[in-house]
Amino acid sequence: MNRTAKLILALLALLTAGSAAFLVLRPSGEDHPVASITLDGRLVEEIDLTKVQEAYSFTLEGESGLTNTILVEPGRIRVDHADCPDQICVNQGFISDGTEPIVCLPNKLIIQITGGGEALDAAAG
Amino acid sequence: MTPPPVKGTRRITLLALLTAIALTIFMIEAQLPVLVPIQGVKLGLANIITVYAVFVLGPGDALLILCARVFLGAVFSGQMMTLLYSMGGGLLAWLVMVLLRRLLTRDQIWLCSPVAAIFHNLGQLLVAAGVMKTWAVMAYLPYLLLSGIITGLFTGLCAQFLISRLDRLGR
Repeated sequence: MNRTAKLILALLALLTAGSAAFLVLRPSGEDHPVASITLDGRLVEEIDLTKVQEAYSFTLEGESGLTNTILVEPGRIRVDHADCPDQICVNQGFISDGTEPIVCLPNKLIIQITGGGEALDAAAG
Repeated sequence: MTPPPVKGTRRITLLALLTAIALTIFMIEAQLPVLVPIQGVKLGLANIITVYAVFVLGPGDALLILCARVFLGAVFSGQMMTLLYSMGGGLLAWLVMVLLRRLLTRDQIWLCSPVAAIFHNLGQLLVAAGVMKTWAVMAYLPYLLLSGIITGLFTGLCAQFLISRLDRLGR
């Protein structure tokens, strides 16, 4: 085992431990989840998930002609249907906190949940 | 022990054969159900061939096989949009493997694969960030680091066994 190999192994161990620690220790759960939907870099929709009374869905069409149907329920949001072949965004299911966004690579769609909080409340007036 | 460089028709046939093997592995893996619903998390078994090519045939030939496999893979799976991501990741991983090729001995080849996998995932995320025009995709980085290291170790060991056995066979 030479120095290069040891260095690589140490770095890999460090990265593994770091990523695992980050995933375990990070705070989850926002008390005021706001979902922002971005299509091809443009913010198209911002939904305050705490104010959603009953479930509804809507469809977004991207530049490439692909569509994503988004289902909004009180406190959570998901992609219900997509035209893309991989269906990864659909399989991801509901998200309700900011730990990870739903990303649809083929359609350049991102659904991200932020804490929202007072600044947004003030802006929403 | 490095075998003499393969030339002419023999080289073209060998590259075509390896591309076909890589593409077959890629297509079979694409049929497996998705275990983790996160973009970019996959076994990447076709990279066994890439690792083999980088270390046994050399960087240039490996790049040819990689590009052919990535392009044909996108065509055959009908997902041309993934071409950009695969190329971004593939080229970055190739670059790292070419560097590691000089540093690692012949029985440490398995170590290069997890490092290459990390850079592959990093390249994909950078392309995604560019295409989507947002850094939000970086939220996936810890997942991709973990999965890249695990799957990279697996494909790296596969490539190591392959190369060690073929060395013993004397090709």
